[in-house]
Amino acid sequence: MSAFTGFVIVETAERVVGEYASRLLADFAADVIKVERPGGAPTRAMGPHVKGQSAVFAYLNTNKKSVVLDIETESGRAGLATLLARADALIDDHDEGWCAAHALGSAGVAKTYPALVHCVITPFGQGAPEDRRRAYPINISNAGGWAYHTRRAASPAAPPLKGAGRFLPAYEAGLDAAMAVGASLWRKRRTGLGQFIDISEVQTQLSRADVVLGRILAGDDEPSALPTRYDMGGPAACFPCADGYVYLFMTTRGHWNGLRTLMGDPAWAREFPADWLEFYCTPERVEVFRNEFAGWIAGQNKVHVSDEAQKLSVPIVPVNTGVDLRHNAQYRHRGYFQRLGEAEYPTVPYRMSGSPVRLEGEAG
Amino acid sequence: MSYRNRGGPLAGIRVLEIAKVWAGPYAGKMLAMLGAEVIKVESTGALDEMRAYGGVDIEHAPYFLSHNTEILSVQVNLKSEEGLARLRDMVARCDIVIDNIRPGAMERMKLGYNDLQEIRPDIIHVSIKMYGNDGPLGYQTGYAPCFAAIGGLTYLVGEERDVPRGMNIRYGDATVGAAAAFAAIAALHHRERTGEGQFVDVSAVETMSTLIGDSLFAYNLTGESPQPDGNFHSELAPHGAYPCQEDGWIAIACGSDGEFNALARELGATGLTEDSRFATCESRVAHCAALDAILGKLTLAHDVVALGEKLRAAGVAAYPSASSLALVSDELLWERQAYRMVRNGNGGTRPVVGPSWRMTPDEAAIECGAPLLGEHNDYVYCELLGLSQEELRDLVARGVVT
Repeated sequence: MSAFTGFVIVETAERVVGEYASRLLADFAADVIKVERPGGAPTRAMGPHVKGQSAVFAYLNTNKKSVVLDIETESGRAGLATLLARADALIDDHDEGWCAAHALGSAGVAKTYPALVHCVITPFGQGAPEDRRRAYPINISNAGGWAYHTRRAASPAAPPLKGAGRFLPAYEAGLDAAMAVGASLWRKRRTGLGQFIDISEVQTQLSRADVVLGRILAGDDEPSALPTRYDMGGPAACFPCADGYVYLFMTTRGHWNGLRTLMGDPAWAREFPADWLEFYCTPERVEVFRNEFAGWIAGQNKVHVSDEAQKLSVPIVPVNTGVDLRHNAQYRHRGYFQRLGEAEYPTVPYRMSGSPVRLEGEAG
Repeated sequence: MSYRNRGGPLAGIRVLEIAKVWAGPYAGKMLAMLGAEVIKVESTGALDEMRAYGGVDIEHAPYFLSHNTEILSVQVNLKSEEGLARLRDMVARCDIVIDNIRPGAMERMKLGYNDLQEIRPDIIHVSIKMYGNDGPLGYQTGYAPCFAAIGGLTYLVGEERDVPRGMNIRYGDATVGAAAAFAAIAALHHRERTGEGQFVDVSAVETMSTLIGDSLFAYNLTGESPQPDGNFHSELAPHGAYPCQEDGWIAIACGSDGEFNALARELGATGLTEDSRFATCESRVAHCAALDAILGKLTLAHDVVALGEKLRAAGVAAYPSASSLALVSDELLWERQAYRMVRNGNGGTRPVVGPSWRMTPDEAAIECGAPLLGEHNDYVYCELLGLSQEELRDLVARGVVT
């Protein structure tokens, strides 16, 4: 029993984005029925495979049921119709052409199932030109601007970077889809009515940049082709230390005073104006700072120096690896990883006192 | 009662936002975009920094105007006992309280979850902190790029054996707000089922980790921890951004032989398809560095927009890597209303970034931009709390509303 107990959600989605959206609802005990094509969902083919099962598929499909239906056939579509007749929501992530060809277009579904919340997630949303209907996550992070604005290596040959992992833009859009479906199911409780939700993966990327892009949009900042257009300037960066890397963020006199204390107030630091971060933050000074700081931090341990920095209100933090996170005391304390079967799963960042997320069923 | 009938699936839900900067206000904005009435608690003595950034007056601050769309503003002096008493009256009239202020600060104002529950037993309290609210590191605070570093994203962004580059420094806050908004909606459903409110304790750093959830899970299974990998993909090749004319970059990914053959054909390099190194997806992945070097030379002569059109017409997923200039001048985005024109409390109109969704038939209206400080004092104090105009004037005169 949890927050979405009692809701039946049919998932015809076959990409990471849609599978993730409905997993977020299944986390809260929605009854998610995953419709798989004969031979299985395409995500089952995604590596790495462990004991014959895709880790990606296993991660995305906990707490769900699975049925195999060939919706290329009449009987398969009839089977899907039977499911939809008793469902509260349908989550899909196919392009418009595919949806239309399988009687899953928005208008038709709304007419046949007026009480259904129907969500379709696509790269650029409904009505996008034919040639903007298919995209991989790396296309989305580039089309949405975040990749272009990643900090590149100094060489002009260094390309924009996709970001962390393989599916980050898909998780972002999946989260928005889950939010919109959750809200529309709330409306359904009130009115008994469904609605159509059209999620754009690229627009999710824009939305996550609202404060930066909004200023450019309104002309407070010049739009440009500069890869540094989203940046803040200043000395913030990763630095190698004795056992890995730390990240330093520093924008105020308070941060600077704290850092000087942390470093034992070296002579070079005393030559900087006290308010250099606010008023005299030139590229040359940043360069001098980074060189000097790099020499000091190189000998420090990442967790220890971060804890000491926190005491002085200096935002130095460890650049954690997967290994670090697995053993992180705070993550352990909060139960971020949950055991299910033989494996530990990363779960969700919200700890709920009344309806906690529980992983109960492994992906089939 | 509501200030304005805007429609949307969360119409009728009221949210009190005791939040600053980006993550907390973004959570409020998401709920407002879905139709909730969101009231932001402000005061001149403890202004949201976003009203100060940009060096102009607090009613024309670019950062603040960029993301407080459809948010109402009420002034409350949180350093005054009477102000806190009025704030408790507001809590009693709200379904959800969102906070992202320093660990312990809500408790010191007697606004911790237990206090809120006494005011309204079924309250939903969504509290956003860097590490969550308790635990060995719960006392620590930081900024979005710190979340990404602690949460495991930063380490992975960059080339192998290079110092990590990390996500863009602005990345992270908004995602944390989105996760908080989703959890708030789940809590509404729980309340509807059981009559109970709850405490929703959001960790910003765990939100970041969730964006590489599959990688962390795979590591738990295989023992191979995720490593920085530039634009590498273990199953797609090519997979990267390739240079074009005038510093343009095109992002191309191929997941099948058909896509790869079409790419080679359109680039006039059919020889690629006969090269045994590139014969299958697997072998292309194995030789992706060589493939990238060849492709980078072929794309260089092209205009990025034209090349994208040509490749997509041939069935290849190829999109220009968008600069800020490309984003704000993209006609499709304007047509779809990815950007909305709103009227701010200061009377000006302004384009803002809208939500990722469109809804039919019941989408919340998005018309009003960021509020003036205390723009909705009348509505909150007089209509919601039932005070007279005279009583409100008295609160203002005595610095309770400031």
